[in-house]
Parts: sequence; structure tokens; C-alpha cells
Amino acid sequence: MSFSDLLLQQTINGLSLGAMYALLALGFTLVYGILELINFAHFNVFMVGSFIGMWTLQLMGINGQAVIMTGLPLIGVMVVALVVTMLSSGLLGVLIERLSLRPLRDVKGPAAMITTIGVSYVLFNIILLTVGADSKNYPNPLPPIQFAIGDAVLRLREILIWMIAILLMLGLHFFVQRSKMGKAMRATAQDPEAARMMGVEVDRVIIIAFFLGSALAGAGGLIFGLYYNFTSFIIGFTAGLRAFTAAVLGGIGNVPGAMLGGVIIGLIEAMGGQFIATAWTDVIIFSILVLVLVFRPAGLLGRVAPNKS
Amino acid sequence: MSRLFARVSLARRHQILTLLVAAAAIAFPLVHDNDADVDSAANAAAYATLALGLNIVVGFAGLLDLGYAAFFAIGAYAYGILTSFQVMPHWGPLWEPFAWLQLVQRVPQPGGDLVRFTVSFWIMLPVSALIAAGFGVLFGAPTLRLRGDYLAIVTLGFGEIVPIVVRNVDSVTNGAAGLNGIQAPRLFGHSFGVAAWPYYYVAIALVALLIFVSVRLRDSRIGRAWMAIREDETAAAAMGVDRTRTKLLAFAIGAAFAGATGTFYVAKLQTATPEMFGFPVSVMILVMVVLGGMGSVWGVVVGAVLLQLLQSWFLEDISGWIHDLGNAINQPWMQQVDLTQSIELIFGQILVFMMLFRRDGLIPATRKQSSLSVEQQHADVRRGGFVGLEGLGEFAHQGHSGLEVSGVTVRYGGLVALNAIDLSVPVGGVVAVIGPNGSGKSTLFNVITGLTPADGGAIRFDGDGLLGLPPHAILRRGVARTFQNIRLFTNLSVLDNVLIGQHARLKTGPIAAVFRPPSTRREEAAARVWASQILGLFGNRLLPRASQTVSHLSYANRRRVEIARALASRPKILLLDEPTAGMNPAETLELAEQIKSLHALGLTILLIEHKLDVVTRLADKVVVLDHGEKIAEGTPDEVRRNEAVLQAYLGRGTLAKGMVDA
Repeated sequence: MSFSDLLLQQTINGLSLGAMYALLALGFTLVYGILELINFAHFNVFMVGSFIGMWTLQLMGINGQAVIMTGLPLIGVMVVALVVTMLSSGLLGVLIERLSLRPLRDVKGPAAMITTIGVSYVLFNIILLTVGADSKNYPNPLPPIQFAIGDAVLRLREILIWMIAILLMLGLHFFVQRSKMGKAMRATAQDPEAARMMGVEVDRVIIIAFFLGSALAGAGGLIFGLYYNFTSFIIGFTAGLRAFTAAVLGGIGNVPGAMLGGVIIGLIEAMGGQFIATAWTDVIIFSILVLVLVFRPAGLLGRVAPNKS
Repeated sequence: MSRLFARVSLARRHQILTLLVAAAAIAFPLVHDNDADVDSAANAAAYATLALGLNIVVGFAGLLDLGYAAFFAIGAYAYGILTSFQVMPHWGPLWEPFAWLQLVQRVPQPGGDLVRFTVSFWIMLPVSALIAAGFGVLFGAPTLRLRGDYLAIVTLGFGEIVPIVVRNVDSVTNGAAGLNGIQAPRLFGHSFGVAAWPYYYVAIALVALLIFVSVRLRDSRIGRAWMAIREDETAAAAMGVDRTRTKLLAFAIGAAFAGATGTFYVAKLQTATPEMFGFPVSVMILVMVVLGGMGSVWGVVVGAVLLQLLQSWFLEDISGWIHDLGNAINQPWMQQVDLTQSIELIFGQILVFMMLFRRDGLIPATRKQSSLSVEQQHADVRRGGFVGLEGLGEFAHQGHSGLEVSGVTVRYGGLVALNAIDLSVPVGGVVAVIGPNGSGKSTLFNVITGLTPADGGAIRFDGDGLLGLPPHAILRRGVARTFQNIRLFTNLSVLDNVLIGQHARLKTGPIAAVFRPPSTRREEAAARVWASQILGLFGNRLLPRASQTVSHLSYANRRRVEIARALASRPKILLLDEPTAGMNPAETLELAEQIKSLHALGLTILLIEHKLDVVTRLADKVVVLDHGEKIAEGTPDEVRRNEAVLQAYLGRGTLAKGMVDA
């Protein structure tokens, strides 16, 4: 494979990874923007979402890669799987906020962050203990269509992943920028106290942020399964850390920033794996995290978070 | 019996309890002759040392470190590499002196002799602590300036990177397969071998040492600075605590504990693999700290022991009972239950439930203080005496002005918060800054004390330029302040708050804090005397409450504590930001009198105040700000008649004029 084809191939791979990280990063950014809280539970909401997607597809009679669908039935199955996964993951996020984080809203210090670590651990181990430690073959009805561009290969699933991710992100962007609730969200991110005084129901804003973030993470989990053809209880940790790095890189609290950061991190992972060594990928990504935090803490597109003194 | 118990003082009870615990720990392997149990007790003790180390970082300094196991790994591999056959350079004459010191051995080989490291366990224990502390500084220096929540994620990243690096550089670490053949410790020519009891005694000695070090640090100037940062970083900096250094110190000491433990742990196991030091280990140590109580030294030891017991005994026992029950009632699924698998699930649940229902842990770090008795509350309010406060307001009266602000400008984006402000406070003077809300008064204070950077101008105090200095350095030069929205260390006692005010004037470092030489004892005693003298300024408003937590105080008393905390730093100039806000007229009058007598002691005062009667009573000179501009300056009477001032306060237009004339 020539260098330019290699580059193209890794760009395709990187964009797919990036789409997934971007969806996940949006959840970090939405919650951080409003609560200034790093939500470690988000790591494993993504993982659980991946399993929900798997079970939904299986319920619709799709097992492994044996059932191939095309046309309207495929679109129907995909829409159902996506909607069910996103709704369930979103509800999981709401449940986490309601039960474990709201009571700690006004507690200073690391208590809320520690709670999210605990929740993350609980989710992780529930899946481990019920589903088992072996990775699961992911149901995938996509026909194995692919296009050759030189020596590089663009598969149908990649195009689909990009489309899902772009649609969801555009939807979120317009929701945040145009809708009344989106305006309330931005107001709360600027100054929760002032927003409250102007009649914004901050509790509802926070619930919505958790719902949207977790729903997007669920979508990311589904995409993970469709992309790699497997899922497992351990996928949350690495993906979560990379997505958080993406959020910080783009500027935490900043919705377009999370998308940009996701794509950059995806590309770095793909290129790093190709041209350096897969074993060092995480080291490279964490070095980026540290460098960004130290030299440009506001990220590429600027940080948006409440100004608490 | 209970009466006998009550007669014994609290401190003595603690001593007795400590002795009993120590005796039980020493006797355990003698009375309980079960190698497996002694072995898990030794592991429990090793985890207790880790928990003690993390407690310094998370509990004392409030820095959430999610990659603590990285330092454990560093200490482990430092010893592992220096005592196994992993790294064997070629022999050369350079190695002779090391061989003579018995740090290396010459291994004869056909192709040329090799060097084998044989560094003693007892040397490596402190050396590993130092190496890990070095890495703590290395990791911490770039990241500790970050906000606390970012620190969590960065440490999580480091916690991941270290095992990855260990896995990848297999020439040094033997990669994922791990190091084998690590030497067991030797003492007086005898190897520890595989029996559990020698390791057990080393481990509990380590625990005892680290408890001692933790307690000594906690009750020192260093520990107070950590807790100040935990409670309120900005206020800590304004009170003279060097944030980065203090945090770095906590990070390094915590890392040192983990490094020493790592050495002990692999010497005991005689093997080390990257998997032993991953994220689950960091979480487990965090669970121990959270369970026992963040900041509570004995609590985290109890937390570590409980979790270890849970892991190696309780869960197996309970699983066994469930199996028996399943056999008895013929339920096959119950015969399969294995609770030891769900240990991490239990860890997660502990974290959540402790945070939701018992954030202070099983053994909270601070005991609840009994509230004041009725008599104490209703004791006569008497104004404090001001005798014997030499050292307050020590200032070279050389005629030059004390504080000189010239042309200071601050912009927030497009908003000009301060525009080329000039202001001078003469030595021994009292200057008041007034102005409507949002006129830039507090910004002015923040610029002077280094909390807000200026976009131009100069600030000189007693001959030194202040702009660009960090807040703690400015306090050190004798500029102390209070905050408009009181910023006390709310979970600490009144006395501790005032002691933290003296941070910059005391010298005790971490080593002196642990060994407590006579000079340190004297310094600490003098600091307490000074603190009680300062508290005495406010009569019996604060003195009887000295050991109470600040959060239990009334609003007015919190304002007084804040002034006391600032005074404790022996300032030359005191910046008071609305000191009488929220006080009733009687309290206001009382405080005004007290400020006046501080002035009489020689203290220079710059004050923001809305209550004009207080300003008139105290100030020699009044400066008026409006929209970031200085609009007037003069004696209180002059300012009172100044038209621009009246316009700023009462609105622009004839209506205001009419009111003035009337």
C-alpha cells in the first residue's frame, strides 16, 4: 500500500473513531459545562449503551453477522436500535443524576466526582458479573459493501457511522443554539445562580444535560459495536479517557469543541497506531491531554463553564 | 467502671487505645499460628500504608489523585530491577566500588562478566520512597497548578501511562511477563524467605511509622496549610500559603509512602507485573480512604484493614454459608454463589453510599465540638484589650507613603474594571475607598493582593513593587486582607484559621514537623500564644469559641475571625473589604472602635466601606470610585460635598442636586 493510500485509509479509520469519541465527548462537555463535574460514570454508560444496542438488535432477530439486511428494513432496524439505545442510555443517565448526584449538588470538594467513580464501577461490575468477561460477537445487519479508493477501503458501515454521528451532532447543536431549553442550558452554564433567578429550572436543565449526554454515549456504544463487531465490559475505560481528552482538547463545555476534539483524537489514534506503535497510543493521547491542560487549558475553541469564584 | 473511664482524660484514653492496638498487632502472629492469615494481615498492613499515603493527598490536601498506584509501581519496580537478574550490564572497573559496598555482584560469564544488582532491601526502602517522591514532583509540577477536577483526570492518565510504559520497555522491566526472582529482604544474614511473619512485622512497623509521620504532619504548620488549600485555595494563597509548593509537597510525600510500600510489596511477593498496579488498585486505595474517612489517619488504617478482611475472609465465609444454605434447601444457584467475584462491585457501592450518607467516613477526622454553654454565650461582651501586641503594624515610619498605587488598569474583556487608578496610603494612615456597587473597589483589592492581574500601572509597597508577585509573596511583605464575601476555612476551628494566618511568619518545614525539634515546639507554642492574643482583641467574642468549627459561628463572628486571621500574619497594612457588612448598629460601632484602636497601635489601614458613619469615624482620607474611575479624593467632609460623588451615588440630574441642597 502506498503512503498516500495508507494515509487515506487511516484518515477513514480515524474519522470513524473520531465520530465515536465526539459523541462521547459531548456528554462530558454538557455535564461539565453546567456542573463543573467530571462524570466518570459516563465511561460506562457508553459501555452499557453498547450492550443495550446489542440486546435490541438481538431482540429483532439479528444474530452475529449472519443476518444481512438492505433497503428499508435495514433503515428501520437501525432507527429502532438507535432510538431504543439512546432512550435507555439517556434514562440511565437521568437515574444516575437523580439518585446519586443531586443530593451532592451543593457539597464542595471531590465528593461528587468520587460518587461518579463509584457509579462507574458499579455499572462495570454489574455487566461483568451478569454478562461475563468474554467479549461478545456484535449483531450487525449491515451488508459488507465497500468501496476501493486506490488501495484504501471505505466500508458502508463507516459512511453510516459518519452519517449517524453528524446527524446527532447537528441535532444537538441546533437544540443548544436554537431551542428554549438550549438557551436555558447556555444560561445555566454561564451562571447557574443568575439563570435560576431568571426563572430557569436549573434542575430540569441538569436532567436534560444528563439525558442528552448519556443518550449520545449510548449511540456511541452502538456505533462501537457496529464498527468493531464486538463489545465487552472493558470498552468504557479507554474510550472514556480518550473522549475526555477530546473534550478538553476542544475546550471543555464547548459543544463544537467536543466534536473537533473527538475527530482530532480519532485521527491521532489511527495515525499513531499506523506510524508509531499501537502500544504507545495511550501514552501519546495522555501526553496531549497534559500538554493541552498545561499550555492551553481553555482548549482549541475555548472553555465554557460556570465562573465560580 | 464508666466513672473510672470518664476520669481518664481524652488524650490519655487515646494513648491507652493506641498501646492496646499496638500490643494486639504485635501479638497477632504469636497467638494466631496460621501462615495464610498472617500473610493477609501483612497485605492489609501494606494497603494501610498506601491508604495513609493517599490520605495525605486526598484527605489532607483535598487533591483527588486517581493514579496513586503509579507511585506504588515505581517503588516496586525500583526495587525489583535493582535486585533481580533483569538488568545486567557488563562488568567493568567502574563497578568495583559498588561491589565493595555490596550493592552489586560480579557474575562470571563465559562471554565476559556481568553485573548483578543486589541492593539491600533496607537501603531501597527509603531510596524507593525518594525515587517515587521525585516522580511525584515530576508529575505534579506541571499539573498541580490546574484546577482540582483536571488533576483527577491527569492523575488517572498518569496511572495508566506508568503500567503501559512498564509493559512496553521490556528490556528493563521484562514487559507484561513481569520481573521474577526478586530478592527477599535479609536481616543479620538471614533471608526472610517465604514465611509470612517477618513481612508482617516489617509491614506493621511501616504502618506505625507512617501513622506517626501523618499525625505529626497533620498537626503542624504544613498540615494546616494543606487543609487551608483543601478548604479554599484562594483564601489560602491570600493568607500566605504557596499553593503550588504546598500541593507538590503533599503529592511528593504521598508518593514517597507509596514508593516505600511498593518496595515492601514486591520484596514480599518476589515478583512484579504491570497488572499489579493498574487503575483498580488506585480505586481500591481510594475506597479505603473514603471508607475510613478522608483526612482521618486512624480511619484510613481501619478502612484498609476492613477491606482486606472483607476480601480475604468475610466474602469467602459468607459465600460458604450461602453454599451450605443452598445445600440444605436444595437450591443449586445458591451453591454456585461466589461473592469474592463481586468485590469490585462492593467497592463501587461503598464509594457511592459513603459519599451519599457518610462523607466523613467511619472514623471522621474532626469530632463534633460541643456548643457553648448558656453562660458562655451570655457572658458580658467586653471590648478587648490591646496591650502586648508588639509586632503589629511594625512599619518603618520614614515619611514615604506606605502603599502607592499608580495608573493601575484592569480589563475584563471589553469591560474596564479599573482605569488608571492612583491611590496612596501613607504610613499609619487610614484610607477608605467608597463607591457604588460594581465601581471596582474589590477589584482594586484583588489587584493589590495579587489575585487579579493588572493590565497596566504599578503598585509599590514599602519600596517593593507588588505587581506580578503571587498572593503569598504579597502577604509575606506585610499586606493582609479580608474578603467581602467571607472566605474562611469553614471546616477548621477558629484557632486553626488564625494559625493559618501566621503561615508566612512561621518556618516549620516537613522534616521539622515530623521530628519536632525544640525550636519547632517553641515556634508552635509562640504561634498559639499570638493567636490567642489576637483572638483576645475581640474580647470574649471569639476566645471561648477558639476550638469551634468556623461554620458554627454567627455571621458577625465570622467577620471577626477573618480580621483576626489577617492580623495574625503581622501585617503592616490591613485591607478590609466591607468589614461591617451584615452587622447591626451596635456591632458596627464596636468593630469601628476596634479598627480605630488597631490604627492606634500603628497599623496602616485601607478599607472598603459602605456605611458612611464608619468611614467618617475612621478615615483620614476617602477615595471614591465609580465605573472603574477615581472620581474624587479628599477628607470625608470634602468628599461628602463633592458633586461628582453625589451624582454617582444618587443618580445624575437635577433631582440629585435638589436632594443635596435640601
